Amino acid sequence: MFSLINADGTVRDRLPITMEEMRGLYADMVEARTYDHKCMSMQRQGRLATYAPFEGQEAAQIGAAAALMPDDWVAATYRDAALMWRAGYPWRLLIAGRTGDERGGQAPEGVNVLPPSITVGGHMIHAVGLGWAEMLKGTDRVALTSFGDGATSEGDFHEAMNFAAVFHTPTVFLCQNNGFAISLPRSEQTISESIAIKADGYGMPGVQVDGNDVAAVLTVVREALETARSGGGPSLIEAITYRIGPHTTADDPTRYRDEGEAGEWQERDPLTRVRALLERAGGWSQEWQEEIEAAATRRVEEAVAEAEALPPPTAEEMFTRMYDEPTAPLRAQMGEAGR
Amino acid sequence: MEREFRLPDIGEGLTEAEIVRWLVPEGGRVEADQPVVEVETDKAVVEIPSPYGGTVLRHGGAEGETITVGSVLVVIGDESGEQKAPSPHPGPVGAAAPIVGTLSEEAEVLGARDEREAAVADTIKALPIVRKLARDLGVDLTTIEGTGADGRVTREDVLAAVQPETPEIAAVPEVVVVPEPVPAPDTASTEAPAGSPAPAAGEGERRPMTRLRRTIAANMARSWAEIPHVTTFDDVDATRLLEIRSALGERHQVKLPMEALVVKAVIPALQAFPEFNATVEGDDLVVHGRFHVGIAVDAPEGLLVAVMRDADRLGVIELAAEVRRLGDGAKARTLGPDELTGQTFTVSNIGAVGGGHGTPIIPYGTTAILSVGRAREKVVAVDGDLDIVPMMPLSLSYDHRVIDGAQGRRFMALVIENLEEPALFLAG
Amino acid sequence: MSEVNLAQALNGALDTALEADDRVILLGEDIGRTGGVFRITDGLRDKHGEDRVVDTPVAESGIVGAAFGMAIAGLRPVAEIQFLGFSYPAYDQIISHVARIRNRSNHRFTAPLVIRVPFGGGIGAAEHHSESTESIYAHIPGLKVVVPSTPSDARGLLLAAIEDPDPVLFLEPIRLYRAVREEVPDLYFTAEIGPVRVEREGNDVTLISWGAMIKETRAAASALEETGRSVEVLDVRTLSPLDHDGIVASARKTGRVVVVHEAPRHAGLGAEIAAVIQEHALYSLLAPVKRVAGWDTVFPLKRSEGHYLPSVDRIVAAAEETLEA
Repeated sequence: MFSLINADGTVRDRLPITMEEMRGLYADMVEARTYDHKCMSMQRQGRLATYAPFEGQEAAQIGAAAALMPDDWVAATYRDAALMWRAGYPWRLLIAGRTGDERGGQAPEGVNVLPPSITVGGHMIHAVGLGWAEMLKGTDRVALTSFGDGATSEGDFHEAMNFAAVFHTPTVFLCQNNGFAISLPRSEQTISESIAIKADGYGMPGVQVDGNDVAAVLTVVREALETARSGGGPSLIEAITYRIGPHTTADDPTRYRDEGEAGEWQERDPLTRVRALLERAGGWSQEWQEEIEAAATRRVEEAVAEAEALPPPTAEEMFTRMYDEPTAPLRAQMGEAGR
Repeated sequence: MEREFRLPDIGEGLTEAEIVRWLVPEGGRVEADQPVVEVETDKAVVEIPSPYGGTVLRHGGAEGETITVGSVLVVIGDESGEQKAPSPHPGPVGAAAPIVGTLSEEAEVLGARDEREAAVADTIKALPIVRKLARDLGVDLTTIEGTGADGRVTREDVLAAVQPETPEIAAVPEVVVVPEPVPAPDTASTEAPAGSPAPAAGEGERRPMTRLRRTIAANMARSWAEIPHVTTFDDVDATRLLEIRSALGERHQVKLPMEALVVKAVIPALQAFPEFNATVEGDDLVVHGRFHVGIAVDAPEGLLVAVMRDADRLGVIELAAEVRRLGDGAKARTLGPDELTGQTFTVSNIGAVGGGHGTPIIPYGTTAILSVGRAREKVVAVDGDLDIVPMMPLSLSYDHRVIDGAQGRRFMALVIENLEEPALFLAG
Repeated sequence: MSEVNLAQALNGALDTALEADDRVILLGEDIGRTGGVFRITDGLRDKHGEDRVVDTPVAESGIVGAAFGMAIAGLRPVAEIQFLGFSYPAYDQIISHVARIRNRSNHRFTAPLVIRVPFGGGIGAAEHHSESTESIYAHIPGLKVVVPSTPSDARGLLLAAIEDPDPVLFLEPIRLYRAVREEVPDLYFTAEIGPVRVEREGNDVTLISWGAMIKETRAAASALEETGRSVEVLDVRTLSPLDHDGIVASARKTGRVVVVHEAPRHAGLGAEIAAVIQEHALYSLLAPVKRVAGWDTVFPLKRSEGHYLPSVDRIVAAAEETLEA
């Protein structure tokens, strides 16, 4: 397993990352965690529909997204808010989506991030098509798809991996192996030694990385993206991480896992180790910590306010969103719904 | 100021939760988003954070108590000192709590089966169209013996029942000549105006029809009931017609209404086939010597037929002026009875509202009606090549009692010939 | 202008689309080297290159999912699934992703792709090769479902489907591929997706059908006309969105309707068509709307196909029953 920063903040190797970049990644992870906690809180207050928290996976998501070029494609999942945000998708739209509003799925122009896939695994092949199209068009855009360990059991994982390899598409597969698919542990999801090793069967490189090590994730994903960008084809990255929270706000993880395990993983927290590293290198102070926390809170609260200020969706929009132009039967139904 | 925080649905469709432990006592301080209580639902034990900062004034229940979604969980006060009545849906919760607002607080208790006897089965056999006809004519179907297969009541049975017993209806033809606006056929996409059944008591609303609408309804029902309609559809290549229309329009600096051209094109056909310019009176067919062509006008109160008297004596530009005058008059309700009755044939331009083909209903007292749809560009084969051609839909309804199918085709063919080469009728 | 059969018309339309628009790319199983199991893409790989006429691995979900990604990224992919009975692995992609991306991204991303699928029986094929399950696709909001039954419609509708800004499932009646010929112009032209085609006009009864059953329906209409009946025949070229106006206008005109389809009767599109007619034309009806459909059985193997497929006799009998009502 590739790693650069140990859980205690010591480094294994020279970091291919500057101090300023490291501070930026840390501040981004702090902001992501602020958002995650805020969403959990809002859901308990009845302000959001079901929410899937990503606490513990910040390094895997921020590290991967930080490796992207601005107009690369991203096809991710409902647990990938931090990744999507770092790739340019604003918090306010992510929150709007969680309040149950389709307008939250509308990425801003220029941000090539698809709405998060809700069904498990169907979106990986989309990143194959996206990359394939860019290849045919002759651009150097790459498509990154993120998914969990559970998704690798879906048939679509196989089809996507196989298509990407056969057609040599510029697609990077990022599996965040967080240990559980709702309640099913990784050991029962597949008895394969690792997920990364599955890449062999498709004829593409596969690598395992410490998903709680933001520098390692950034390094590995950047390399995979550059390989794809320069015509070297797809690759699979397995980021080993852990879902600290429940599957979603409607889940009770005590039914299927030992709380002690989460405790162990908290010791390998992706933020703590970077803070320790920065502290030792003279790149951290209590004052700066408070500053970035305050800034993160302010931005997230602003996003909440904006999302909650969206006017209620009209019935008409429901119909006009279906096709380029509403069909005649839809127009008739729009009239009925408006009565 | 006090603010209530109601228990939201924190699972997916949960209805209640048990209070496990209060994390902040009454009188204690709480920050926004700080957990205030631990509750247990069907799915899990969860901490619920307060949406506001302030003092916990009141717990909504004791530990161990179960409360329902939507009821007050906790009341928080702030330091403003304002004493304000608690709002039922405080701040952000009310504004963004989609589930609380719609989830019923108690499970619906399904009632016992309705043991009342089912309504006595309707033993009358009749098609919906016949039932509707009977209802429109005030005929009680239970009083009729059906002559159709299996004793079914037919349309003829209903009409036979109405003739002797309701002479006032038989005498109705006079309506045609009273100075009452005669409605145009409804060729729009809905059922005939009187087509929808009255709402049952207690649902929807009952609205009296306006006088005009009643007249339209009565005339429609009569036309539909008495005249066996046949409708024939065609599309005409409108290339030349549209060219001529714009050329004439430019020359005379007017926008030429389609009706003016169509009426002009139809006149020769009416002259060639007089049964299309006629009235059925009892066992006689009264063929008219003059050509009063009605045009359908969309007035605020409903569709009217305005009549261009002696249309055969008018040139296209005069007809255009007449169409405009009648249209304005209908909208302003300034038309006289002579301008609203007495047509011998009718043209309905449903193209003006974007219509295509239709099945126009023949105005009572005439034998035919031509409806003209909007010309649309279509790909058609012309001399073995594909061309994009504006095709104008035509729908001709005629009274099958006095006009045969072949005659209908011949009439239509002449109209089409004229419309495709306007020189043919403009020269004449 | 040349006289072509339906298969040749489709081949020509794909050729024209590849020629006219660089964004068009064909992908499917065996469509390149062999020209597809029905030879619809015959010769196109040689002419347009293997980058544009792509032989894919055997994976229907992958084909549709990859085409979906391509469409989002600005291409105009045309995917081929070999038989409707093989399309179900791709059903999730179609219903969960293809048909709803416009909705879930509020118009930001769209999927203008075409999924071509041969369908229907009557050719003595193996199991799963004769399915007529169009109603499970017509039921999907956000997807258009188109079925040509003539060579010129095949060309016009396929080019229209490729131009369409939304996803189109394009069903091709296998039995008619080589059973109908027509003069079709070699020009680029489109037929409008939506309206029914009035195959013939009449006043006494309306027969409504689509796809391969148009053949039997046409023969039934001719038989009825020999007995003096005036029969209208509608070809429902678009199953979704359904042309309510065209269907209702004809029902109002004749007052008698028989819907003919190959798919099982239960929850088939005949039910939807009958419902539309009773909602909008009940008071014009002179008889109950009848359905002549496949039975609610699995589509049988070769030796029993005759028991299953609606025959001319069944259609004529239903129409006569309707005319006598």
